[in-house]
Amino acid sequence: MTAYIIRRLLFLVFVLFGVSILIFGLLSTFSPERRAAAYVTTPKQAENIPLIIQKYGLDKPFYVQYGKWVEQVADGNLGWSLVAARPVAQAFWNYFPTTLELNLFASPLVIIVGIWLGTMSGVHRDSFFDHSTRIAAIVGWSLPTFLFALILLMVFYGYLDMFSPGILSSDLSLWVANNPDKFVRYTGMYSIDGLLNGRLDITLNALSHLVLPVVTQVIVVVALLMRVMRSGMIEEMNKDYVITAKAKGADFKTIYKKHAKKNALIPVITVAGQLVALSMEGSIAVEVVFNRQGMGWWLAESATQLDMPVLMSVCMFVGLVFVTSNLIIDIMYAYVDPRIRLH
Amino acid sequence: MAVLLKAQDLTTNFYTYEGAVKALDKFSLSIDHGCTFGLVGESGCGKSVTVRSMLRVIQSPGVIEGGKVLFSEKADAEPVDLLALTEEEMESVRGDSISMIFQEPNAALNPVITIGDQVAESFLFHRVAEMSQKICDAIDSGESYGLLTPYYRAMLGVAAKNPKAPLLKFCSQVPFLKWWDKPVKKEALQRAIKIIGKLGIANPEEIVTRYPHNLSGGMKQRIVIAIALACHPTLLIADEATSNLDVTVQAQILQLLNDLKKESISSILLITHDLGVVAETCEKVGVMYAGTLCETGDVKDVFSTPLHPYTQALLTSVPKFNQEGELQSIEGSVPNLVNPPSGCRFHPRCPKAMDKCSTDKPELKELIPGHLVACHHADRVIGGLS
Amino acid sequence: METSTAMTAVQAHEHPRLRELKFTLARIFRNPSAVIGVVLLSFFIGVAIAAPYIAPPKYAHAPYKMPHKGFSPTPKAPSERFIMGTTSGQYDIFYGVVWGTRTAFKIGLFVVGIAGFVGITLGVLAGYYGGWFDEFLMRFVDIVWSIPLLVLAMTIVVAFGRGLENIMIALALVEWRWYVRVIRSEVLKLRNQEFVQAAKLMGVSDCKIILRHILPNSIYPVLIMGSMDMGSMVISASFMSFVGLGAPKGYADWGQMVALARNYIVGPSNDPLQFWYTIFFPGICIILFVLAWNLLGDALRDAFDPKLRRR
Repeated sequence: MTAYIIRRLLFLVFVLFGVSILIFGLLSTFSPERRAAAYVTTPKQAENIPLIIQKYGLDKPFYVQYGKWVEQVADGNLGWSLVAARPVAQAFWNYFPTTLELNLFASPLVIIVGIWLGTMSGVHRDSFFDHSTRIAAIVGWSLPTFLFALILLMVFYGYLDMFSPGILSSDLSLWVANNPDKFVRYTGMYSIDGLLNGRLDITLNALSHLVLPVVTQVIVVVALLMRVMRSGMIEEMNKDYVITAKAKGADFKTIYKKHAKKNALIPVITVAGQLVALSMEGSIAVEVVFNRQGMGWWLAESATQLDMPVLMSVCMFVGLVFVTSNLIIDIMYAYVDPRIRLH
Repeated sequence: MAVLLKAQDLTTNFYTYEGAVKALDKFSLSIDHGCTFGLVGESGCGKSVTVRSMLRVIQSPGVIEGGKVLFSEKADAEPVDLLALTEEEMESVRGDSISMIFQEPNAALNPVITIGDQVAESFLFHRVAEMSQKICDAIDSGESYGLLTPYYRAMLGVAAKNPKAPLLKFCSQVPFLKWWDKPVKKEALQRAIKIIGKLGIANPEEIVTRYPHNLSGGMKQRIVIAIALACHPTLLIADEATSNLDVTVQAQILQLLNDLKKESISSILLITHDLGVVAETCEKVGVMYAGTLCETGDVKDVFSTPLHPYTQALLTSVPKFNQEGELQSIEGSVPNLVNPPSGCRFHPRCPKAMDKCSTDKPELKELIPGHLVACHHADRVIGGLS
Repeated sequence: METSTAMTAVQAHEHPRLRELKFTLARIFRNPSAVIGVVLLSFFIGVAIAAPYIAPPKYAHAPYKMPHKGFSPTPKAPSERFIMGTTSGQYDIFYGVVWGTRTAFKIGLFVVGIAGFVGITLGVLAGYYGGWFDEFLMRFVDIVWSIPLLVLAMTIVVAFGRGLENIMIALALVEWRWYVRVIRSEVLKLRNQEFVQAAKLMGVSDCKIILRHILPNSIYPVLIMGSMDMGSMVISASFMSFVGLGAPKGYADWGQMVALARNYIVGPSNDPLQFWYTIFFPGICIILFVLAWNLLGDALRDAFDPKLRRR
């Protein structure tokens, strides 16, 4: 087990190295001036672009530039973000909690709803419930996230005037910005910080801003999970051990809850990586449409404003998260399926 | 001898893309109390479908279309039709009065549940009341089950009277309260260990914590048998229980079944394609062809004077120790059951077929006492014999 | 009885692959979702082909450029002249929707075609021959795999420059990884099967084995994926257009039309849904287009799934 994890951690290093070369290579199509931004950390430095080009050899061969860049990253210097108007490393801590908050609320819902719906429609195959959830899933799967988010916004914000876009209402966020001593940002997530600071109104306000984004995220991601769970259930309910259980005198509920469901969860774990990727992509669209300043919003903004250091760092970060979560998924796999021993 | 189980005109179809597969066509069979009955036939002739229909564990797209399965657990009791019971009543029959051993031990055990859990389940489905009573008595006589003892005593008191009481069902849904059955589960596991040990598996305490893939094929088959025997069934159905095992293991398992029959179970229905096994272990035999029973009677009678042409052909196709010349085989192949042959289903392959055979389906008739056959031709064979 | 035996005899004379195909097609079209999908798709194909007649282009040299009457940013409601209204900048929504169909097909066919071709070729070669090429390719796929489609595609578009062509190239450059993985695992399963081994022993050339035995038996998952991808690639492309990485303003592209509608999803307070048409028409087109391909893909999966087949 330990040997396996160490091997996977080495693999993580390899992948990150590969990702950095790939992205660095892609972005080296830019002019030296643009790339110089990756080495700037203060507004003052930004005035000395030609000096930086010379200092880091941005007109030199690829490997020289890459070496210099790695040196900088090792020092914790990720460059200057145009969009955020501050160093990337600093801006990261500003944006990351917002995205984390969204997924912290959406992921448990995705898992619970997806597994429940998939189990039910697989067990009651070809029933009315099954057909309607299947249709709902395929329609949900066909809804582009950004479009669905816009429609929700149009109906709930425009027509019903219920949930507004953003992270917090403007007066509250102004108050928070002006009173850093009264409202400590422990986690950076307003819904949790509100509780920690004893400001229930801020928590509630943050939650009301989360409703539509979370709904969008859940609907778009849940379809895949549901489908895999459903076909897993159908397959398992036709296995021989189900007959054994039946012949023992097991009732229907025990059969599908205790016997089939455990086995049907195994293929679900194999698509968990895909679910993580879907959530990441979903976050981009959700944050752009609902105007939530998180990682996804930052990435989209940076892409349109050619903010190179941000693209570089976000790709590295996303790669890190994705490979790590895959490692966790593989370990979970071994726990759920006793037949698999990691070595 | 009194009849234990009697199937009458059992009909089962499988609805597939190619059409309805008529797997069982008016199948009839009767098994006596205390008898070991062998059901033989080629692969695909519907042996497994028969027993699965009798226990009502046919999987989609199979449907039991009609017939009766009369079962009388006590020799003098009024028989009940298993096909007419509600699903809940049937659940209490399965695993308790009738239980089943499956052909493929690898597939028959759930890969992600421990052995102990799977065996203990049998007790948890049928013996909760009895086990609860036992634990209540133990508590009353001063035994302690930890801090929660009073709670266990109260709940198990209810369970001893009615294991399906609404109160228990409700509590099972509530966190913490749902642990009321912990002592019962423990007891069930103890019983599981005991029965696994009885089946000649060394170290049962350790085996119960393992998963199926840790065990060898023979061990797994013993576990499957342990599950079936847990509640001392009146009828044990062994569906090709030994076919996929090594010859030595096969012999061990058959010996085991034989020993068990002597001490605990009343009757065994042994399904196999191996005539040798039948000759060795069974008292009665039924020969099946393409979803119908062609011949049934005492093993000795049937094997010495086979009346049905199919039985005759089957017997001559078995290699003998002092075999000379080529082995006989049956001409033609097993019919497609989407469009089964009309009349007698064997007639296209039958050397003695008459015109009548392709139009009329022969009835199962008792031509010699205790020896039934379904063949238009058999009357004449009998005439020749006498 | 007689006729059915006769039929079986006829069927037996057909080429087994043809019979299998017939069986599969029958299965697919027994599924109502496939029928709906095919009907929707035929509609879109019809619109795409007939685009020059339904909505005659104003600029013959650049038919994808949406004509616009004036520059007013406020959309105008459907009228006799613009049956679906005009969007911000007075672009004719009807024209954009019709020619946007062509854009959608262009995106889907290009991306799935290139990604599928590259992925299948590399995947089959890697799976069949194995060795250092396989090792090298799969490690490379591992690297590319660690970044979600949209993130990587956006980065590539940034590097190559904005525009619809670059979006298509970027998506193809990212999406092939799926095809490689899927077909490679299929080929690995087949490679050691007896019929392939037998063909090898009989001295059949590798090329022939791949084309006659490996490909026909491993192509189904790819077909299903291709169908689903036709839709999801259009979603990804339209999202990038929406964000502003796509074609210049005024190009007939559904994603961009949604972007133009973005500021008008909430109307004045007395009539909040006043500008519904700006988002409704391009939006419904994207949804139905993607839905059509997904319905088709879903039916294909049901038909090809060996576990659900022949039921």
